[in-house]
Amino acid sequence: MPETINRGVIGKEFPPYAVTVERGKIKEFARAIGDLNPFHLDDRVGAASEWGDIIAPPTFATTFRDDSLDYNAFLRELGTDISRVLHGEQEFELHRPLQPGRTYLCRGRVVDVYEKTGKSGPMGFVVRETAITEGDELVGTMRSVTVVRL
Amino acid sequence: MKYAKVYAEDVNVGDELPPLVKGPMQQIQLTRYAGASGDFNPIHQDDEFAKAAGMGGVFAHGMLSMGFVAQALTDWAGAGRVRKVGVRFAALVRLKDVVTCRGRVVSKSSKDDVHLVELDVWAENQRGEKVVTGRATVALPSRG
Repeated sequence: MPETINRGVIGKEFPPYAVTVERGKIKEFARAIGDLNPFHLDDRVGAASEWGDIIAPPTFATTFRDDSLDYNAFLRELGTDISRVLHGEQEFELHRPLQPGRTYLCRGRVVDVYEKTGKSGPMGFVVRETAITEGDELVGTMRSVTVVRL
Repeated sequence: MKYAKVYAEDVNVGDELPPLVKGPMQQIQLTRYAGASGDFNPIHQDDEFAKAAGMGGVFAHGMLSMGFVAQALTDWAGAGRVRKVGVRFAALVRLKDVVTCRGRVVSKSSKDDVHLVELDVWAENQRGEKVVTGRATVALPSRG
């Protein structure tokens, strides 16, 4: 079991990756939450809307994963493994809704790593930020805090 | 076609979101959410793995609870109105838990015809313990 977390990853930039949003993925995601809003599910409602198509629920960008990234390797670099990590915090900032057929570029980086001792013992915190752009436009930003049980 | 579920003028500080009740949580929903989100951490699927990891058994993805909170926001403000939602995962959601999402307006502002409403948002379990706490910003249309 590691005693400390590797603060050397601060500033690490992950390779940028592109995600093309599939229509069915938006609907699958909304249904998995049980969010049956027609603006997420009904193509005709979407087509008639101000966005011209369905829109994704606010947390949909969590599906934007880099399939070529070895997450377990990143956890090893931190000095931990999947059984020791918890999702501590998450934020989505959206300048406009995400939509099907669009291709977004995601650029993630580690903005901070720190340790604190809480009531359940020493914990590491890894803060990551991912910018989501379409062309030159910043569409949104995801921020996450991963908690590592040390 | 612009649509509105609520207009900026009709919102006051202190207003509460209609509570959104989700659950009782079932394993099948966690499995479904894993598939939809791509988060296949076995800690949400495999009870033995979760116990061996010292978590006392499987628990829901924090992101699923966050999805519930986001739904409470869009049910109230309308789809496409959420500009920002940020949460802290305060306690684990277990199988059979009932999660109730709530929110309260804490401020309003208007600038250049953009009408922003800021809310405290949270979700609690059937014992009234907060499992998610956070803040959200929605942009609402104006009657003007």
